Amino acid sequence: MKRALAGALLALGLARAALAQLPLEPGGVAQLPAQPGVHWVWVNDFSFFALPDGKAFLVDGDSGRMLGLLSTGYSFDALVVPHSGGVIYSPETYFSRGTRGTRTDVVTIYDTVHLAPLGEVKIPPKRASIMAMMAGQVLTDDERFLLIYNYTPAQSVTVVDTRARKFVGEIDTAGCALVYPTGPRSFFSLCGDGSLLVVTLNDQGRAASRTRTKELFDGLRDPLTEKGVRAGDTWLFASFEGTMHPLKITRGGGIEAQATWPLFSAPELAQHWRTGGLQHLALHAATGRLYAIVHRGGAETHKDPGADVWVWDLASHRKVQQISARNKVASIQVTQDARPLLFGCSFESNRLDVYDVASGHYLRSVEGLGITPGLLVTP
Amino acid sequence: MRNPVDHLMERWARDMARRVSRRRFLGGLGALLFGAATVPLLPVARGETPRPAAGGAADPGDPQTCGYWRHCAIDGFLCSCCGGSVQSCPPGTEASAVTWVGTCHNPGDGHDYIVSYNDCCGKTECGRCLCNRNEDDKPLYMPFKSNDYNWCVGSKVGIAYHCSTARIVGVAK
Repeated sequence: MKRALAGALLALGLARAALAQLPLEPGGVAQLPAQPGVHWVWVNDFSFFALPDGKAFLVDGDSGRMLGLLSTGYSFDALVVPHSGGVIYSPETYFSRGTRGTRTDVVTIYDTVHLAPLGEVKIPPKRASIMAMMAGQVLTDDERFLLIYNYTPAQSVTVVDTRARKFVGEIDTAGCALVYPTGPRSFFSLCGDGSLLVVTLNDQGRAASRTRTKELFDGLRDPLTEKGVRAGDTWLFASFEGTMHPLKITRGGGIEAQATWPLFSAPELAQHWRTGGLQHLALHAATGRLYAIVHRGGAETHKDPGADVWVWDLASHRKVQQISARNKVASIQVTQDARPLLFGCSFESNRLDVYDVASGHYLRSVEGLGITPGLLVTP
Repeated sequence: MRNPVDHLMERWARDMARRVSRRRFLGGLGALLFGAATVPLLPVARGETPRPAAGGAADPGDPQTCGYWRHCAIDGFLCSCCGGSVQSCPPGTEASAVTWVGTCHNPGDGHDYIVSYNDCCGKTECGRCLCNRNEDDKPLYMPFKSNDYNWCVGSKVGIAYHCSTARIVGVAK
């Protein structure tokens, strides 16, 4: 008996010793796969309480895990992620003494596997310092040229050749703001008089033509928000009071205003439903569905976050789904796969919420993402 | 109960009336007003602790609150909470040379005023009293009606944004 007990104790001791001993581990640095996950999202933090410290968090919407971060300088807007993969472009601003000294603007090129800088292109120190807007920095359709909106307060667009990784030049856009690509060699800017400035580029990235359209919207009576989304050959802009303005791209990069349509019914308008937020529209291209953050509010609530996301079928203009958000959101984004996720965040918190689009159900939240998360970009 | 300041002022006025002729008083007052008008142009005046300009029946409300009437189209940190005032930048910052304007209704006198929201620049964000109101705010393609620009653009010290003031620059007709 004594012998058996001693044996059992010995075995237990050996087992505990074996359990307590974890293998030695080499150090290392994590890497990301070459292909991004279909449910990944970049949460761009414009860091309004600490503007010199812009950053972007990469989050996996399925697991809720943060996968990595980029540190992106002063008054950051958003990363530009080409579909061709491999790199990320980040228009950034730095001061030699943090908030003073010499200003340097660059486009930093990051590698998507290591999230480390591969190189940079120095650009004129004119990049617009604005509330984060997707149209502050875009790629042409063939991803050859990166276009960045400048405001000094003179308005212009910086052109960077992504192939040569060189600054090409500036295009004057006096009276017109932001950049909306319309093809491999064309874009437009929205102008204060309700017209558009349509610019075509040559193969060197210089302006080949600059044309002002006639007045396409009434910027004083019911302005279009500058937070449009693109569905194929059509840019979609919601007005403050809930009218959708489709602007169709014609051959050669021209623009044709299509018939407007109302997002809200008469009873909904009577209840003061309207769109609002920072990135208040999103699109699922394959199903042709438009997602919008909505809320009930009066005039001048066009930037207010909302607790609801409504969904429209773009072909019929009919509302087909309503998703109740767990928390108010100012920015939304939808993944482009067959089982899409809806992401939502607000600059009023530092949390990302994840929803299943098909059911509209809340899935999870990811906390602690910077200070004032703004634009959501899916890689 | 009488306000001690009122009491002091009354004593000063009565004393003055006894000692000084009306013409001499007006001459002195004119010199005083001229001096007051020129003093803010002197560099030393800029270093003075800003005095609150707001308050009272004609300018009701607390400039340290978002609801104060002049803040009807402001977007940023209130300089009144950051060592400045509703019309003055905090020490060591530079007032932006260009800005956006709003038209705000003063409930104290019933007038609509044009309010210039000059940003104060050259330091990191004050971080206090964040306020965003959007009365008549327009998108970025109407820059001078948009509060989404950093108006430190064009400042000598660069675009580092610190806080926003709300200065009356005119009466809306």
